Amino acid sequence: MQRTVIINPPKMCQPMGAILAYMGVHGCVPVVHGSQGCSTYPRYNIARHFRESAEVAVSSLAEDAAVYGGAKNLAEAIKNVKARLDPEAIGICTTCMSETIGDDVRQIVKKATLPDDTTKVIPASTPSYVGTHLTGYDNAMKALVETLAVKGEPNNKINIITGIINPGDIREIKHMLRLLGIESIFLSDISDTLDTPMMRGGHKPMLPQGGTRISDIADSANSSGTVAICKTAGSAAVYLQNKFNVPAILGPAPVGVANCDRFVENVTKLMDKPITREIENERGRLIDSIVDVHHYMFGRRVAIFGDPGIVSGIVRFCAEVGMAPTVAMTATKHRDFAPDIKAVNSEYGTDMQILEGTDLYEFHEVVKSQGAELIIGNSKGKDIADDENIPLVRVGFPVYDRVGVYRYPILGYRGSIYLLDLMTNAILGHKYDPNKLHQ
Amino acid sequence: MSTILPVCDIPIPQREPHIVCHDPGSPILPMCNIQTVPGDMTERGCTFAGCRGVVGGPVKDVIQLVHGPIGCAYYTWGTRRNLSDTKLHRKYCFSTDLTEEDVIYGGAKKLLKSIIESYERFPEAKAVFVYSTCVVGLIGDDTEGICRQAQGKIGIPVVPFHCEGFRGVSQSLGHHIANRTLFEKVVGTEEPDATTPYDMCIIGEFNIDGDAWIIRPLFERMGVRVLSVFTGNASYADLPPMHRAKLNIVQCQRSSTYIAKMIQDKYSIPYINVSLFGMAQTAEALRDVGRFFHLEDNAEKVITEELAKYQPRIDYYRKRLEGKKCFIYQGAPRAWHWIEPMRELGIETILTATTFGHKDDYEKIMSRVNPGHICIDNPNALEIEEYLVKLRPDFFIAGLKEKYLTYKLGIPFINGHSYEEGPYAGFEGFVNFARDIDIAVNSPVWRFVNGWMPAGVDVNAKNSDN
Repeated sequence: MQRTVIINPPKMCQPMGAILAYMGVHGCVPVVHGSQGCSTYPRYNIARHFRESAEVAVSSLAEDAAVYGGAKNLAEAIKNVKARLDPEAIGICTTCMSETIGDDVRQIVKKATLPDDTTKVIPASTPSYVGTHLTGYDNAMKALVETLAVKGEPNNKINIITGIINPGDIREIKHMLRLLGIESIFLSDISDTLDTPMMRGGHKPMLPQGGTRISDIADSANSSGTVAICKTAGSAAVYLQNKFNVPAILGPAPVGVANCDRFVENVTKLMDKPITREIENERGRLIDSIVDVHHYMFGRRVAIFGDPGIVSGIVRFCAEVGMAPTVAMTATKHRDFAPDIKAVNSEYGTDMQILEGTDLYEFHEVVKSQGAELIIGNSKGKDIADDENIPLVRVGFPVYDRVGVYRYPILGYRGSIYLLDLMTNAILGHKYDPNKLHQ
Repeated sequence: MSTILPVCDIPIPQREPHIVCHDPGSPILPMCNIQTVPGDMTERGCTFAGCRGVVGGPVKDVIQLVHGPIGCAYYTWGTRRNLSDTKLHRKYCFSTDLTEEDVIYGGAKKLLKSIIESYERFPEAKAVFVYSTCVVGLIGDDTEGICRQAQGKIGIPVVPFHCEGFRGVSQSLGHHIANRTLFEKVVGTEEPDATTPYDMCIIGEFNIDGDAWIIRPLFERMGVRVLSVFTGNASYADLPPMHRAKLNIVQCQRSSTYIAKMIQDKYSIPYINVSLFGMAQTAEALRDVGRFFHLEDNAEKVITEELAKYQPRIDYYRKRLEGKKCFIYQGAPRAWHWIEPMRELGIETILTATTFGHKDDYEKIMSRVNPGHICIDNPNALEIEEYLVKLRPDFFIAGLKEKYLTYKLGIPFINGHSYEEGPYAGFEGFVNFARDIDIAVNSPVWRFVNGWMPAGVDVNAKNSDN
């Protein structure tokens, strides 16, 4: 991209992702070490996507911290969160402010905690000027296992690092593992904490129920393997492999036939389990659903943007359906992104442009030049879809202009069916001759 | 003593002076406008938010360029519902996207290139607003110099705002910085094409969900010419001639009294405070302006027409809402703007709170409320929850971050920051406001909160909580 200014970036900063990682831990309160906007903005973003409240503390850095450092603020924040909420864990994430003034978050945490504290304090370095929200998720997840994982007896479980996916996706992956008879530890698990029920009488627990237990994160060192759903969230898996010999497999995100098959193959091999009839049936239903719609979808030009792991998966799925993806775009760079897309190009004869580390302004230019009949991405794709008068299928984070997207899976065989239905219905609902839909 | 220490605050007793129970016998104000207790789960934002998000952000035909790492630009991209009739300011998000290398070597070159490139791609822009985030203040980029240089190159105004997030105690300083910057660098730089004896600016009106589109015509129908709205649906070109108004009216008296005062001091243009919410307050504002311009009859005519049209609707909603109790938690002014309008609907506000109120905001609150009213400065999530559970209002008016917490407690809610289905200002807007409260309070969903619905349950039975 021959441009310095970024226009319409579909990416956020590290604290956003780190907060999501921490929110998947049971009884964990995220503490942002930075200015007050650094917690308020991510909270706002979580609220509008999940339609849930996200309680996040902040060390409220101000001018004096710029001069004297923010250690005092962070120590006080840890003390106050402990005293008022007595949480099982406090997840610290840093910001551009605290990193630039040179605060050493590990040292501060060390000084602010005692060895016999019941509250575990996890220090993650997540400077906003490095990487994106996905980097922040990865760093926080790595900090969680670094701080908590302890070698013990083999537990015959599989670790699943979710990355930034929706509660609906997490539930779907749990469902698949259940069908395969595999026990798991999710690193981490927002499926209950960010999709909470309304309790009888409006009795709300102070911190949401659900999330991965600290003891389970400790036990992740003893699992038979780790699968990272998103390749961008693999650092914790690599750490567990290097430190505790837990084999790590990074991706691919199980969207579409081949990637779901890979996922099933990976987890069954790691756990030495057979592929069950139930899973075969779910796979069969996905194939059946593709057969049903392949006439509608063949050759349809589709433009896809979002986080790299998910985009790679959706791209492959679109190709499997017979569509013609024209552009695959991600703002977060990842070494596997271009090779993954090129592999699809060569396997399916597609001719996708690859946009990596760029923005939606450029994505829009390519959509205009290459043409598209469908866009797949988060809510930030709305203006492009409107300008080009094509439908947008909303996936990813954040989706704030439609309800319920977080509830439904696009991962797994069943999630892929749902995504395919969304895509097909978007095509059929937009300028498709209704006379052709009676039979 | 009329300060209160809620249970959740026992470990942080420094919160006590911020929470006051109103006692007219010994009136005191909550302590305010000081640093947040670190880690207290504050709802506050930062100085950048006040400057970029609130005051500068609504200007519709400028490139809103955020100088810093990506997050701050992303989070302010189209979020606040400051509507306009063009889309440049909401549809596009511009950022220098500073990285580690820039933090080490400086972001000045990147800023200069970014300004020029943005203008090349959006030549319809009338100016460029450049907002500095935390890291820019720390690494010491000469944004003033760069913006001057860029302005020389592209030939449109390039205005730097020094609104690093860590400055000040809340969003409030960001409002002040935006006011001062626009006053010093923009106001007075151009003369209006023509002036009339009836020129007025509406200050502190950000066209949230179309408020300005309701307010502005009310004054225009009186024969007043609205020279500028600061800054709702404003063009950049609306700002330079603000010094030629005959009168300014100030709606958001926290974020924007600064510029009204600066204009008064430098150009001797008076300003009056208004509350353009609710029937009585809106009518009073029209009368005040009518008196100033000697357009009293015109004001009465507009008021009569509006009341004839909308009062019956308000009367209808009053019947449905009479006797309800509410909490109002807003940035600051709307906490007191809405106390009287609620009474017009028969609703008593039993608790108010503000994120960044100053002394004058709390004086205004206390002058409007009944004894026993609870007032909280800079409330945090735990305090809000404790009071919602303890006092169980019939509904709560706050912002998105508090919305889902409130719902989980089974309490109806109105988004007062961006509104549910606004506009809420003026006579017509107040009908929308009343309708949204009615929807919130009288939705059948609250019947299900208390548990299983046994067969044969009377669906018309009143929920014991509501």
